[in-house]
Amino acid sequence: MSALAIGGVVAIVTIAFLATGVPVAFGLALVSIGFLLYFEGTGSLSILAETFFGSLNDFTLVSIPMFILMGAAVASSPAGKDLYAALDRWLHRVPGGLIISNLGACAVFAALSGSSPATCAAIGKMGIPEMRQRGYPASLATGAIAAGGTLGILIPPSITMIVYGVATETSIGRLFIAGLMPGLMLTALFMAWSLYIAWRRGYSLRDMAASYTLRDKLEILPKVLPFLSIIAGILYVLYGGLATPSEAAGVGALFCIVLVAVIYRIRDLPTMARILRDSMRESVMILMIIAASALFSYMLSSLFVTQSVAEWIAGLDVNRWIVMAMINLFLLVAGFFLPPVAVILMTAPILLPIVEHAGFDAYWFAVVFTINMEIGLITPPVGLNLYVINGISPDVSLPTILRGALPFMLCMVLGIVLLCVFPGIATWLPDLLMGPGI
Amino acid sequence: MDTFINGVRRLSQACGIVAALLLAAAVVVVCEMVVIRYFLRASTIWQTEFVTYSLIAATFIGSPYVALIRGHVNVELLPVYLGGGMRLALALFAAISALLLAIVLGWTGYELLVEAWVGRWRTETVWALPLWIPYLPLPVGMALMALQYVADIICLATGRAQPFGLSEEAGR
Repeated sequence: MSALAIGGVVAIVTIAFLATGVPVAFGLALVSIGFLLYFEGTGSLSILAETFFGSLNDFTLVSIPMFILMGAAVASSPAGKDLYAALDRWLHRVPGGLIISNLGACAVFAALSGSSPATCAAIGKMGIPEMRQRGYPASLATGAIAAGGTLGILIPPSITMIVYGVATETSIGRLFIAGLMPGLMLTALFMAWSLYIAWRRGYSLRDMAASYTLRDKLEILPKVLPFLSIIAGILYVLYGGLATPSEAAGVGALFCIVLVAVIYRIRDLPTMARILRDSMRESVMILMIIAASALFSYMLSSLFVTQSVAEWIAGLDVNRWIVMAMINLFLLVAGFFLPPVAVILMTAPILLPIVEHAGFDAYWFAVVFTINMEIGLITPPVGLNLYVINGISPDVSLPTILRGALPFMLCMVLGIVLLCVFPGIATWLPDLLMGPGI
Repeated sequence: MDTFINGVRRLSQACGIVAALLLAAAVVVVCEMVVIRYFLRASTIWQTEFVTYSLIAATFIGSPYVALIRGHVNVELLPVYLGGGMRLALALFAAISALLLAIVLGWTGYELLVEAWVGRWRTETVWALPLWIPYLPLPVGMALMALQYVADIICLATGRAQPFGLSEEAGR
């Protein structure tokens, strides 16, 4: 059997195996063990434990639990509510200010928490009822929050980007900076669409606003500015190369825990234990997938699948944009079914050489990759955000949320198209701050 | 039988506590390391390894707890869609697969541990930590996770638990 055919069989077996509902990490590991045993015999098992251990023996990975802890600390507090309230108070005169505030709060909270479902829950719990009360339709209110939540995996610091960095051996600081402008661009696209739809349907955007005094506006700032400075601080430290991502994340996590304790007086033992437990659960889940994916990658490359897929695509001799379109389509479909971390770990090491060979930038590709994963978060069957929104506003049906989220999905597709036409959206800022890429 | 299931549950919960404490220790040490490196301008000796190994230990020791609370993410599309007997069959298949992996990984982890112990392997750093210490959590965690999946399989087979934790109506 040729390596390419083996690759096809591996893909089919993996999909079928994961479809049974076996945990993704264990499914990937078992598929890898099965193929190694079949093609290389029982001797291949000796590398199993070392690969599992070795893949996690990397100080960079420490940043993942640290950022998760930082997000869990923020998510356990009413910081999301305050963030949203602060933006609403400052932007209420802007036409459609409320929806802009909601999307803006999603973007900032997403950056802090790095988690899409946490963002949807934190901003949506307050934002969706408020928007509906002021007359926005349910589909727009829920769709906007579902889409806003996805920004968490693109806007830095982003766990998805760290995983991409680890899988492809690219600079995490540079990946973070590359995600910043595209993240803001998507936020702007979401806002533009929301305003357009509200205006077209004849909602009076000014009537939907509330009014606030200057005092209202000022008194909320001390609650939100410290969190914003933590994000700014992390980005500054990382792009300046002052500290490693793990160090920045560790200090960021400690600061967030302290801030939550000081500002919101959340310092009781049960809450602290819950924050630790939730972070541990999420970290264990992600790190197990990382370890299993390392075994999966090892299996693919020792059976020469990785190399032959790359050679096959390079040998197709088609336009590089057709290759990119095919990759996008593939990622989109994979994202419909699998969590972003798993898709990145399984496919990025195979795809990146192909993409770079075709003349695309690794950091630009990370952004395009991530936006594809974002789309998967708001599309069935496993669109996590849709279910979170459904959970916090049970009177809005899933199809209504989906209908509301659909145009935002198209905004993301438009975002990918814009990135293809103007790659500088992703590459300009890192080039400016960190010097041109290699 | 209930004694066994409850005993395993308690063990897995204890694993969760250990893993959470390891995570907390890692945060404290990372911050201590930052203070030493950037404020006191001194070099660090054991911190990088300690933090990395703590989190590896947290991952393997925490795995049984995460298995207990169904925190290892899976694709539930087919189980939700199928329902009934097929759903139970899939749940059993998934749990047996996970058990199999825990056994294989735990066993190879044990072999690695013994090799490191007998060969007196140490890390190639100033700290020169005996390698069996960071290797230990892999076999221990996987053995406990295997127990957790045995308990899960018993619960599924005897109707003590719903397949995939889904209610009977889910997806219909």
